Parts: sequence; structure tokens; C-alpha cells
Amino acid sequence: MNRIVLPRLLRVASFRFAALYVIVFAGSALVLGVTLFLKAGSALQEQMTARIETEAAFLREEFQADGLAHLIDVVRARGQGAGALDYLIEDQVGGHLAGEMPARADLKPGWTTIDVPQASEDGGRPERVRALVSDLGGGVLLAVGTDLRQVGDLKKAIATAFLWTVGLAAVLGIIGGALLSRAFLRRVDTIARTAEAIIGGDLGYRVPMRGTGDDLDRLAGTLNRMLDRIAILMDSLRQVSTDVAHDLRTPLSRLYQRLEDARAHARSMADYEVSVDAALGEAQGLLETFSALLRIAQVEGASPRAGFIDVDLSAVTEAVSDAYRLDAEEADHQLIATIAEGVIVSGDQELLTQALANLVENALRHTPPGTQISVRLEGNSEAGALLLVEDDGPGVAEADLPRLTDRFYRGERSRTTPGNGLGLSLVSAVAELHGAELSLTAMKPGLRVSLALPAAKRRPPHT
Amino acid sequence: MKVLLIEDDQETCAYVARGLREQGHVVDLAATGRDGLFLAADGGHDVLIVDRMLPGLDGISLVKTLRQTGVKAPVLFLTALGGVGDRVRGLEAGGDDYLVKPFAFAELLARVNALARRPPLTDRPTVLRAGDLEMDLLQRTVCRGGKPVELQAREFQLLEFLMRNADRVVTRTMLLESVWDFHFEPKTNIVETHISRLRSKLSQRGGAELIYTVRGAGYALRTPIPDQP
Repeated sequence: MNRIVLPRLLRVASFRFAALYVIVFAGSALVLGVTLFLKAGSALQEQMTARIETEAAFLREEFQADGLAHLIDVVRARGQGAGALDYLIEDQVGGHLAGEMPARADLKPGWTTIDVPQASEDGGRPERVRALVSDLGGGVLLAVGTDLRQVGDLKKAIATAFLWTVGLAAVLGIIGGALLSRAFLRRVDTIARTAEAIIGGDLGYRVPMRGTGDDLDRLAGTLNRMLDRIAILMDSLRQVSTDVAHDLRTPLSRLYQRLEDARAHARSMADYEVSVDAALGEAQGLLETFSALLRIAQVEGASPRAGFIDVDLSAVTEAVSDAYRLDAEEADHQLIATIAEGVIVSGDQELLTQALANLVENALRHTPPGTQISVRLEGNSEAGALLLVEDDGPGVAEADLPRLTDRFYRGERSRTTPGNGLGLSLVSAVAELHGAELSLTAMKPGLRVSLALPAAKRRPPHT
Repeated sequence: MKVLLIEDDQETCAYVARGLREQGHVVDLAATGRDGLFLAADGGHDVLIVDRMLPGLDGISLVKTLRQTGVKAPVLFLTALGGVGDRVRGLEAGGDDYLVKPFAFAELLARVNALARRPPLTDRPTVLRAGDLEMDLLQRTVCRGGKPVELQAREFQLLEFLMRNADRVVTRTMLLESVWDFHFEPKTNIVETHISRLRSKLSQRGGAELIYTVRGAGYALRTPIPDQP
């Protein structure tokens, strides 16, 4: 188990960050330690030198004031106790007069090193003493010194302390990193398991969130929102497939029946022609439904603003209402257009034209003679545009309103009229592509369809 | 006339070729982009019918190459892609017209005929005539038998398109595209009502019927044969 977990642990990002941190920390602690070590050593050295110089000067004064015998007493007294300096008083020929350091004949005034033999119970190795030798006059030489080992001990103590600190920090850092990584790994594993479950086919799973709002939680939230969106898309895709299968079966079976009927019963060329014409009509209707579906799919799949240009919506509205005015008159409808001038929006002219045409056609085809249809364009290029198509016909039941833009949906009254129930779906897709808001309102009487388009965003000129 | 059909779908190919031959045209066939390029470069075709999706070399690249090598024959693109922007890309590549599959043969024929006899842009007349009908494109006026006929802007455009294609069949879709800039099939009778309004305006002061309905295809403005004295 450990053999599998550990290498993986080493690969976890947080562990690597922890390790890197420990390395940087240990490195800087080491640099600090070395600097401190060197500084402390030299400071100690200077302190010792100063102490020895002061002591030598003091003893010289004692000698000059009270003579050799007094100096010997003083040195003996001061040589006692822990932390005391080492002393030596000798005469001109190297005779030992006082002090624990051995007498030497070759002593010259100035700094020197004297080896002091040690008792065998202390290890037997001679102690090196750094000493200042002064000529007190009258054939008396004084040496004051201190054990070099003291400095060494201190340096060793500093070094040891630092090595412990760094070592401990490294160990703690590695343990902490490992613990952090395990916690991190657990949460990543949770996300991975959720993803695996979804890959396995159940889109209902969501990444659990801990509500701490940390970065992993935020990531989980984003993933969940993405999953929600995918679920919605999958649902609508499933819905469309079902709708297509369901709504195309009727015309396809009619086509089949007509051909079968012709095969079985047609006796003359004229009979055949009638049946073939009817079948052609059915096929034509099917093809139109398919191309309408395809067009909706293309509009829904298009990336917003790609290929958008500044469209003169006033001109589009004028052209469409102008195109349908004669048709409206023929059908005994009244088409009134009220169009604000110079309304420019950013969009796809072909699609906007078709969307508006669909709205006008709907108003024409689903209302009885005598209905007044009003096409209005309000707004301007800065504030955005509001396109309204209203009629004072019998309107649509409130309950039907939300479903009008669904593919193939047809209100109760229009079931018997020709049409495929895709007109408003296209309008809805075009609205979405343009970031426009499509709303349908029952006006009692009549229906109001409004399309609120955002203002044309002027792109900054390329430099 | 001589037509080159570059299309990889054998059924479509046979259907279109048979129809065109029945109309008395000579049809060359190519099933791949490379064969098509080779045949087209040979020249001598009045119209090229090019499928957008071809094995080897796609239709757009083929037409771009042809245009670069100086082949000026008009090109009609056939495509199963009815998408927004596909038409624009086709026209930008050097195509002259665009027809989405599936199509009625009458539609294809009308477009091929319109393309084949399209006058060069340089010598466009400023006055169009058909029988006793006269259209002044600069003054934007129409006279029939010397008497002015009042037309609205859209009716003028409609008549202009019919007169430019006089004695040829123009389809409902062609009219929708070029007169109204509608690239979709309206569910109402826009074209029919406008044609009927135009007819009645043109025959207000008598005179022979000019605009004929061609069953299953579209409309044609026929120039009356002048009466022999």
C-alpha cells in the first residue's frame, strides 16, 4: 500500500511546494548559521583580547605600585575560580615565580601561544593558551592568557544548535507537506471519482463542496456549474431528438401512405400524377422542416458576434413590413409599421431579417381577417433597440406562452393550420445569438412579441 | 450551351446531367475536384456547376484556383450546407450563384440560364426594353406604350430583375433573393402578391400580358414578337 501511495504523494503539487519550501528554509537557515558562527567567533576573540589587555595593564600597575611580592599575591588570588585567566610570572632567566602556565626561557613581549600541560585525569592533552607577554621591567616577565578551547566550545555549541534547528525544521516540513498533500489528494480524488462516475454515465453526480470557499471549493463550484450546463444541454438534445422523431413520423407516414395508395390503386397516368404531386408536397414540407431544424441548430451553434456587422435595423424593419404589406392586405389584415430611423445594431442581417419575417408571418397566419398587426421599432444606436410585433387577434392562452418557443410546439388553435412549429424557435435562437431578450405577452386581446436588442458596440478602431 | 458539372454524388450527377441534356445542353462531368480543375482549365464552358464538398480538392479552393488562372466562366455552387455565411464564403471565393441541396431541377435550370447569359458588368444598359415596355434605370421611371406607369420601389426592382432576365424563367427563390434579399422560404405569398400587383399595374392601360407564370418553375417576362405589318 505504502509503496503505491508514497511515490504518488511525492508527485502531488502541494507536497512539492512543501518540499521546496523546506529546502529554501533550510538553505537560508544554514547561511544564517554560518554567518552567526563566524561573527560570534570573531567577537569572542576580540572580547578575550580586550580582557587580557586590560588585565595585563592592571597587573603592570600593581607591580609598579607595590612590587613583585604583591604582584605574585594578586596573581595567585586572581588565578582561582572558574573562568579565570591563566597567568605566568617569570624572572629574566626563565625561572617560574607564579601562575599555572609553565615558565619558558624564550618568552618575548607580545602575543604568543603557550602549551599548558594538563593533569592526566583531564585527558592529558596540553591546553593551548593564547597569551600576552609584557616586560614589567626589573627582569620580571608577565604573561596573561586564556584557553583557546573556550572559543572552540562556543563555536561548537552554536553549530550544534543550528544543525538541530535546521534538521528538525526539515523533518517537520516534510511531515507537514505529506499531511497537507494527503488532505489535498483526498479532495482531488473526490473530484476524480465524481468525474469517473459521470464518465460512467450518470450525469447526476456533483462534486461535494465543503463551504470553505477555498480554491478547491471554488473549483468544485465551477465544475458543478459546468455539469449543470451540460445536463441542460443534454436534456434539450434528448428533447429535440424525441421531438424530431415524433413530429416527423406523421408527415413521413402520410408520404408512405400516399405512395402505397398510388401503387395499389392508381389506374391512369392522371391518378399517378395526383399521387406523385401529393407525395412531392409532403416531401417538400419535410425538407423544409429539416432545413428549419438545421438552421436553428446552426444559429444555436454559432459563436456570438462572429461575423457580426453593423445592421441598419430600421432598414430591415422597413423592408420586411414592406414585403408583407401586400400579403396582409390580400388576407384582409392591416399592417401598420412605425419605425424609428437610423437604429443600428450589431448583428447578422440575414438572421435578423428572417426572425422579424417569422414574427410577422406568425401574426398574419394565426389571426382572423380584420386583425390589425403593428410592427414597431423603437430606440436608437446608443440605448439599444426594441422591436415589437403586436396583433389584436384572439391571442394565445397564458399557459401556452412559455412553450411557444419550443421546437415543434403549436398552440391549440394552430394545430390544424399548415406550419411546423419552428418559426418562434428560430426567433428565439436568433435572439440568443444576438444577446437580445425575447418576450411574449398576452395582451388580451392579441399577442405582443418584443425583441430587445443591445446597442451596437462600437469596436475601437484598429491602430 | 456547354456546361461542366463537378459533383461527386453519382445520383445528383445523373439527375442534373439528364435534365440539362434534355434541354439541349452539352454536359461534361467530373467526379473529383482535380478532374474538374483539369476540365475547367481547358476552357470553353459557358457555366460551371460545382459541388462545395468534393474529394481531393474542395469546391471553394477549386474555384479560387480557376479564378486565379483566369477562367471567367460563371460558377453555380451546389451545397448541402445551408448555413449562414456558407453562401457568402462561396460568393467570396469567386462563385456567382449558390443553390442549396436538395433543389428542384427547374430551380437549377433557371439559375444556369440566368448565369450563362449574364451580361458583363461593364456594358450595362441604362434603359431596358421589352416590347412596348421601357425602363429608365437612371430616372427610375417605367413607361408602357409611352405612358408612364407608377411603381413602388420594390415593384420597380421586381420588374427590373424580370426585364434583365427577359425571356428566361426566374424562380420564386431567385426573386426573393435578389429583390427582397430574403434568403429563406417565407410561408406566405410575397412573390405571388407582388407579381399580381405588378401585372395589374402594367396592364392598366391595356396591352398584352408580359409576365407569364411558368408552372412548377416560376415566372418569365416574355417579349412579344412584333406584329408583322
